[in-house]
Amino acid sequence: MKDYRSLMHRYGRIFTVLGITVMLAVPFVIMFISGVKPNSTDLFKGIIALSVIYLPGGIIEVLTYGPILGTSGTYLAFITGNLINLKIPCVMNARELAHTEINTEENEIVSTIAVSFSSITTVVIMSLGVLLLVPLTPLLEAEVLQPAFNWVVSALFGALGYKYFKNHLKLVIAPLIVVIIISLIKPSFVYGNIVVVILIVAIVTIAVARVLWKKNLI
Amino acid sequence: MILFLTQVSVNDVKNSWWLYLIGALVTLFIIGGSLFFALLAYRRSKAINMPKEVLKKTVVSSISFSILPSIGIFIGVITMAGLLGIPLPWIRLSVLGALHYELMAVSVAAEGVTVTTLMMEDFVTIAFVMTIAIIWGSLFALFFFKKYQKKVVDKVDTSDKKSFAPLIFQAVFIGLISAYFGDAFAKMIHYEVREVVDGAYTPNYLDKTTFVPLIVFVSSFLFMAFFDYLVQKKNQKWLENFQLSISMLLGMTIAVLLGIGGIY
Repeated sequence: MKDYRSLMHRYGRIFTVLGITVMLAVPFVIMFISGVKPNSTDLFKGIIALSVIYLPGGIIEVLTYGPILGTSGTYLAFITGNLINLKIPCVMNARELAHTEINTEENEIVSTIAVSFSSITTVVIMSLGVLLLVPLTPLLEAEVLQPAFNWVVSALFGALGYKYFKNHLKLVIAPLIVVIIISLIKPSFVYGNIVVVILIVAIVTIAVARVLWKKNLI
Repeated sequence: MILFLTQVSVNDVKNSWWLYLIGALVTLFIIGGSLFFALLAYRRSKAINMPKEVLKKTVVSSISFSILPSIGIFIGVITMAGLLGIPLPWIRLSVLGALHYELMAVSVAAEGVTVTTLMMEDFVTIAFVMTIAIIWGSLFALFFFKKYQKKVVDKVDTSDKKSFAPLIFQAVFIGLISAYFGDAFAKMIHYEVREVVDGAYTPNYLDKTTFVPLIVFVSSFLFMAFFDYLVQKKNQKWLENFQLSISMLLGMTIAVLLGIGGIY
C-alpha cells in the first residue's frame, strides 16, 4: 500500500503540473496567435476578486474531498474539475456499490477508476455535444427541458442520499434540522456558500456521531 | 513564434479552427491521463486479488451515473457560447471549470460587456482570468495533499469497524447530502439569480422562490428507495448499477412535468 501510494503521489503530481501547464497554455496561445494582450487592470482585478473566494474554497475542497477521492483520484479530480456536482457523488456511489472503506487500498482503486471513467464520460459527452451542436442546441435549450437540468444537482443528491440516510437514520436528524434552521434564517447563505454549509453540517454530524457512539447508540 | 494577425476580430478568434484544435488536444489530455490512472489502478487490483466484478461494477456505474450531469455541464457551453463562442467554454468546462465560476469570471474580467461590445482584449482577459483564479485547489493538492494525507487522514484507522473512525467519513457524507437538502429547501424560501443574456451576467438580480428542487430531491430519494427495494427484496440485481441514474432521470422528469403544469 505504501509503495503504491507513493507512486500515485509522484504520478499525481506530474499529472497536476502537466494539467496546470495545459490549462495555462490556452490563454497564452490565444494571446500569441491573436497578438492581443489582456487588459492588465481588469486581469489583476479579476484574479484578485475571484481568488478571494476560490483560494480558501480550493483549500477547503482538498481537505474535505481528498480523503473521499483517494490519492490518484484527488490529483485527477482537481484537474478535471466538476467536483461537487459530479466526481464526489460518483465516488460515493461507487464505494457504496463496492462496499469499500475510506483509506484502504481497495477504496483507492475503486475511487481512481470512478473518477477516471467519470472524467472520460464528461469530456466525451462534451465533445459529442460540440460535434452535434447544431442539431442538439434547440433540443437542449428547449424551454420544456430547462427545469430538468436546472435541478440536476437536487436529483443527484436526493437519489444518493437514500442509502446514507437509510443506514444512518439516527445521524441524519441533527444535520437536517441545522440546515433547515439556517435556510429559514438566511436562505441566501445556504445556496450562496454551499462549501461552508457542507463544512458546518459535517462538523455538526461528526459531533452528534461522537456523542451517540460514546453512549453506544450507534 | 508569434503569429501576429493584424486587426484581429474577436468573432474570427472565438470560433476559430485552432481554438477547436486546442479543445480537442485538451480532451485527449484528459482522456489519456484518466486512462493512465485507471490502468495503474487495474494493475494494482490484480496484484491484490480484487474481484474483477467489483471493478466492472465501478466502471459501469460511474459511466451511467456521469451521463446526466455531463449533459448538464454541456448546457453550460451553450449558455456561454453566445458571448465567447464554442471552443473556449468547451475547454474551460473540460478542465477544472464550473459554469457559475466561468460566468463570474466573465463578469469581473469584463464588467458589463455584451456580445455586441465584446472586444478582442476582453476575450483574452476573460480567458486568462478564468484559467488563473481556479487553479488554487490543484496547486494546494500539488504541494500539500501528500503531507495532509500522512499527518491527518492516515491517523484515522477505518479498518476497525467498532472504532469511531469509519463514522467520521460517514458523517461527512451525511453532512454533504444534508447541505444539498438545505440548498433545495432554502430555494423554497427565497433565492435570487443573476440574469444571463448572451452568456454574460447583466446587473439584474431576479428574485425567486421555488418548491421544485425540494420536490425533485424528495422524489429522487423515493425512487431510489423503490429501486433499492427491487434490488434487495425482489432480487433485481441488474438494476444495482443503474438505480442512481434512473432515479435521477425520474426526479428530473418530475421537474419537467411540473414545468409543463406551470410550476417552476
